[in-house]
Amino acid sequence: MRGISKSFGSNMVLKDVDFALDGGEICALLGENGAGKSTLMNVLGGVFPADSGEIYIDGQKLEFTKPADSLAAGIAFIHQELNLINDLPVYENMYIGRELRVSGKRHGLLDLVRERRETEEMFRRMGMDLDPSAMVRDLDASYKQIAEITRAVMMNASLIIMDEPTTSLTDPEIDRVFRMVRALSEQGVGIVFISHKLREVTRLCTRYAVLRDGRMVAEGDVASVTTDGLARHMVGHDVRTESLQRERRLERSVLRAEGLSDSAHFRDISFDVRAGEILGITGLLGDGRSELFLSIFGAGSDYTGQVYLEDRPIKLGSTTQAIGCGIAYLPRDRKENGILKDMDILENGSITVWPIISKFGFIDKTRQGSLFDAQVKKLRIKMGRGTDIITSLSGGNQQKVVLSKWLSRNPKALILDNPTQGVDVGAKEEIYDIVMRLADERVAIIVLSSEAQEVIRLCDRVIVMYHGAVTGEVSGSRMNEHNIMRLATGAVDP
Amino acid sequence: MEAGGDSGKRNFITWFMRNWRTRPLFSTGAVLAAMVVLQTLALGFDFPSFGDWLVRWLMNWNNILRNNAGIGIISLGMTFVIISGGIDLAVGSTLVAIGAAVMVLIDTGPNGILIRTGLTGIPAYLVAIAAGVAFGAFLGQMTGLLVTKGKMPPFIATLGTMKICRSVTQHFMQGYTPQVPRGFLQIASFPVAGHLVMPIIYWLFFAVVFYIISKRTAFGRQVIAVGSNERAARLSGVNVQHVKRMVYTLMGAMVAFSAILQVSRIGSMDYANAGSGNEMDAISAVIVGGTSMAGGRGFILGTVFGTLIIAVMNNLLNLLGVPPFLREAFKGVIVIGAVLLQKRESSS
Repeated sequence: MRGISKSFGSNMVLKDVDFALDGGEICALLGENGAGKSTLMNVLGGVFPADSGEIYIDGQKLEFTKPADSLAAGIAFIHQELNLINDLPVYENMYIGRELRVSGKRHGLLDLVRERRETEEMFRRMGMDLDPSAMVRDLDASYKQIAEITRAVMMNASLIIMDEPTTSLTDPEIDRVFRMVRALSEQGVGIVFISHKLREVTRLCTRYAVLRDGRMVAEGDVASVTTDGLARHMVGHDVRTESLQRERRLERSVLRAEGLSDSAHFRDISFDVRAGEILGITGLLGDGRSELFLSIFGAGSDYTGQVYLEDRPIKLGSTTQAIGCGIAYLPRDRKENGILKDMDILENGSITVWPIISKFGFIDKTRQGSLFDAQVKKLRIKMGRGTDIITSLSGGNQQKVVLSKWLSRNPKALILDNPTQGVDVGAKEEIYDIVMRLADERVAIIVLSSEAQEVIRLCDRVIVMYHGAVTGEVSGSRMNEHNIMRLATGAVDP
Repeated sequence: MEAGGDSGKRNFITWFMRNWRTRPLFSTGAVLAAMVVLQTLALGFDFPSFGDWLVRWLMNWNNILRNNAGIGIISLGMTFVIISGGIDLAVGSTLVAIGAAVMVLIDTGPNGILIRTGLTGIPAYLVAIAAGVAFGAFLGQMTGLLVTKGKMPPFIATLGTMKICRSVTQHFMQGYTPQVPRGFLQIASFPVAGHLVMPIIYWLFFAVVFYIISKRTAFGRQVIAVGSNERAARLSGVNVQHVKRMVYTLMGAMVAFSAILQVSRIGSMDYANAGSGNEMDAISAVIVGGTSMAGGRGFILGTVFGTLIIAVMNNLLNLLGVPPFLREAFKGVIVIGAVLLQKRESSS
């Protein structure tokens, strides 16, 4: 790709970008949110054309105006939101749009037997143990990813673009996907790997390219660079990686649980968070931590056992009650659980305060505005006007808006579920800062995260869960990735 | 000067197109304005004096508004239902059920309920109105319960209640024609400065109330939140079930007002046909007004415009002498056109 430029309205997203990839290379495409990574790959994937610039495949100049064009040229784009149909079995998904017909006729009946057999054959060749007849709905996230990659391979893709494939994956799942990606690169397939997770990049990729503000600012071999160096390229200045914990006076218990169990997701869970403490809870997919806290928050399954808020037993029947007694829950998957896409920024940040600032049902707009403005300042939210739509903000700022709606209620206990998911490096640091400040303000904080590094940096101690049960707790010097991983995989005793 | 005028024209066009694309209320408003111009032209200017023309024009408008006040009021409730992500197919049938109940209450014949308790005149009317609205709200609550506690898709739930309400009403009202007292007819036909405008006033009143609810109250905003992202709303402490129940309850109350209006205008009700098609007319008005069927995005003012667009178009077709059977086709065209317009907005 040479000299690619692209503008949306007056906003120039790509400025004269060059990008090249050889077969067999795994190239990390890095950059903060809004740096232009997705735009560049959308141009390559034929989602929309560039304003100027040229694309060459195997030395041949091509023009892509629709995804089918680039697919025909051997480029497969695996989007973050996977393109699989949940209600069809895996093998039918493999052939969507190019179904096999009985006896090769163009309009014949589907040859499901052959589709199934060939899919099975393909999985075997790639060393993936995956049942082709499984419904996509029942697959876990990594196998969905693998199915999607397999489909790209079956379409003879010579270049596969993967947009943040590991966001919703746990570590063993990531390993599984990575094994597959390496195998493909050995077969000469070029891979573009868009990611925020620098450690993954150094593990998997051979080359890197960093975009910042629509320009290519650095390129090279991954072997010759450190994660700190990459992070510096992305943000344009140094990034801290040391632990953020510090001595804080721990006081009374704020949120305590004794022997919580539900019918499916978690068993016999006890914990105690004090004012000013940051408790981390981590584990792999299926550990039940989100379900546990949704239940405590009054939005999940029913449970046995007892929850205490400031030593008073409580049982919350609804989220409304939970908020009323000072518990806040920042859910994971911002797009699905956090954002009200039809509402403006101000309302997204104010929905939780309506019950307390309304008189006779009427919202006091002045108070709504001043409460939100205070959070905008406190959280340093970068935004235009409050009446702009929420989706006009970057991921990090959207997350801050979602967080702001909770902080406006001055919670005693704040539960953060994957608080930095889909957030760029700079915003991540800012969110960490905010969490530390809240702890200093005596809020009891629980951080649920699938990233061991995140809980290590942020938390005073970490509880590790495995298949719905607590396998251990680590703190101080024993709080390292090695110990956490052993507990998270059920290999007890740190 | 001329060059300025030319660029002024171009500026106007770009301004117009930008607003047309980005602001649903602007585009529905523009369509309505165009309809009104066409309708005015169709009415013609063949009158002895400007005064005569004006009187004729105003009378025509009075008719349009009065005839559509009932459906206009239902459409207001429907807007909330659709914004919340639901639908109510039962409004035509609940209208008949509520209308029948009100008529049985105020019947001056031997079976009238209130007259047997000795209640007549204005107190009886007030009781009947209150009971009718309560009944409507109750039916709405039931729908709301089916949708929330019963976890039923609103389409199915209201399909069921639609069948039940009309059928039960028809059965119990067989061979029974209540006598609606003259006084009750005053509700719709009480003259204001010599004109029959009460239905228009009710409609306007409810439109203003709904507008304020949707813009200024926590409930109104929560309806939008629920329609926009139910999970996110619930996790933000919105009592989603309560909001949904209230939406259908309000809908029921609006149907009740519409039913009372209809009873007081006509003094009788045809249980088999009254209100049939109301659900589709109300949904059409809401959709034409720019509210998204997917929920989360909607406009009370748009619904008023939508109701008027369909009403003015009917009037226009009438003035132009288009055969009555063909008129429904034009309604269909308007609805499809409105949805195409919405599609273009969301994809751009």
